Amino acid sequence: MAEDLVLDTPIRNWVLIPLSVVMVLIGVLRYFVSKLMRSFQVPDPKIVKEGQVVVRARNLRAGANFIPAKSFRARRFYFSNEENGLLHVPKGQGQNPQAQMFSDPNMAMDMMKKNLSMIIPQTLTFAWVNFFFSGFVAAKIPFPLTQRFRSMLQNGIDLSTVDVSYVSSRSWYFLNLFGLRGLFSLILGEENAMDDTQRMMQMGGFGFDPSKNLGAEKDNLDIMQHDWAMPKFEQRAEAVLRKLVH
Amino acid sequence: MVSKTEQTQLERLENQVDNGGGGAWEYLCLVRKLKVRRSEKVLKHGLSILNDHRKRSSLGSEEWTLYEQVAVAAMDCQCLDVAKDCINALMKRFPESKRVGKLEAMLLEAKGSWAEAEKAYSSLLEDNPLDQGILKRRVAMAKAQGDVSGAIDCLNKYLETFMADHDAWRDLAEIYVSLQMYKQAAFCYEELILSQPTVPLHHLAYADVLYTLGGLENLQAAKKYYASTIDLTGGKNTRALFGVCLCSSAIGQLAKGRNKEDKESELQSLAAAALEKDYKRRAPATLSLITTALKSLKVSS
Repeated sequence: MAEDLVLDTPIRNWVLIPLSVVMVLIGVLRYFVSKLMRSFQVPDPKIVKEGQVVVRARNLRAGANFIPAKSFRARRFYFSNEENGLLHVPKGQGQNPQAQMFSDPNMAMDMMKKNLSMIIPQTLTFAWVNFFFSGFVAAKIPFPLTQRFRSMLQNGIDLSTVDVSYVSSRSWYFLNLFGLRGLFSLILGEENAMDDTQRMMQMGGFGFDPSKNLGAEKDNLDIMQHDWAMPKFEQRAEAVLRKLVH
Repeated sequence: MVSKTEQTQLERLENQVDNGGGGAWEYLCLVRKLKVRRSEKVLKHGLSILNDHRKRSSLGSEEWTLYEQVAVAAMDCQCLDVAKDCINALMKRFPESKRVGKLEAMLLEAKGSWAEAEKAYSSLLEDNPLDQGILKRRVAMAKAQGDVSGAIDCLNKYLETFMADHDAWRDLAEIYVSLQMYKQAAFCYEELILSQPTVPLHHLAYADVLYTLGGLENLQAAKKYYASTIDLTGGKNTRALFGVCLCSSAIGQLAKGRNKEDKESELQSLAAAALEKDYKRRAPATLSLITTALKSLKVSS
């Protein structure tokens, strides 16, 4: 085991603190840039309606036992009949979201803007960190860690003898990148804070198919058994009243 | 829905602000967040902030939100001059804004110039045909003009797209009840029960509609829904207790002893007993009235 490394104070003053400050400033800057580039998009009535249909069908499924059987059957027919049921998706008509994306230039444009505001500053800062600060041991955390954390905390240093509790500058960059959400929510207000992890998740979640949702909901409705809950409620009400009266 | 803790927080702040304890801005923020209707208070306290130059500038960009809030509250209180001042201030700051355009249209509506308001709303809808707020304003406008069928049309069109909006369903149900179109109202109440199965008021209203529709099947169903209301409220709802009594008496008359199973149920006599107990505790003077009324329904044992 190597002896304790002594970290020079200039490293703190010229690496650790500047890196964090720059990350925060970039985050704030990016927030304002993306705010400028955000375009208001009129939602597609069809998509809005499909979302609402799914919510209502889900409600029907969840609360079916609270309405009389006749009403339930009428609603189910309304949702899932083969001619014009709301949940019925004619074969081959469910459009491919990818195709739709390319047919609508606005959408592609929006995606690109989002990508631009995310990727460009990230690459730039990463390059900057790599160029100026590669190989620095920037900080030491005050508790020991196991070897598995080496790749997380000592990215960019290929020395297996350095104790794992030392943090390299590149790792410090990554920790800042993913961990500044709390600070942003303080600076920019609760709902504006969005860190990169979330953004990445959003990107991944893109491109789901609403018509599949409709189909699944229809199948669920079709196999449902209706069992009216109200007769049970009469007995429960009796029990409640009996307790109240006596 | 306003939860209980939020409710108490709101009341506490309201008390504090009313007694001059400060915290007006926090109160206004809370009112906005909970979307409660406290127009007079919002108007009073909001104006006191807006008229105080130092307080107003300390809000920063939130100042404009406050202008909007006060404008809407002022329209609700028919202080149209105040609303106009607020909207003018907003107009100066955001000349092209749709949101201010909506406020202007609302001002026209508050003045009662329906045609102009309608025109303004339509032009706003052209830009965004799915603006829920504006679509709802149109319903309110139709109602304010007494054009009930127009309101029904608007609501139906709105619900065709936003079919999961239970407030709209409730509004429609109430309109149908006022027009005595009970079958349609029953449908709306079913929709409400589906979206919020544990809210006893929907069960109660649905039972009322079913009872009014009449017929043996509907009466039996109504009784069951009154029973569920009793269960959900813990037997504290007087209307539901009366409902059970009325239903079972009406069923008894219709069925004339044919229906054995209903006779066996104790529910109506229990409901009658609960009613008598409640009246004895809270309104002893009217107890004799209620006893004779229940006797005439042949439900009290």
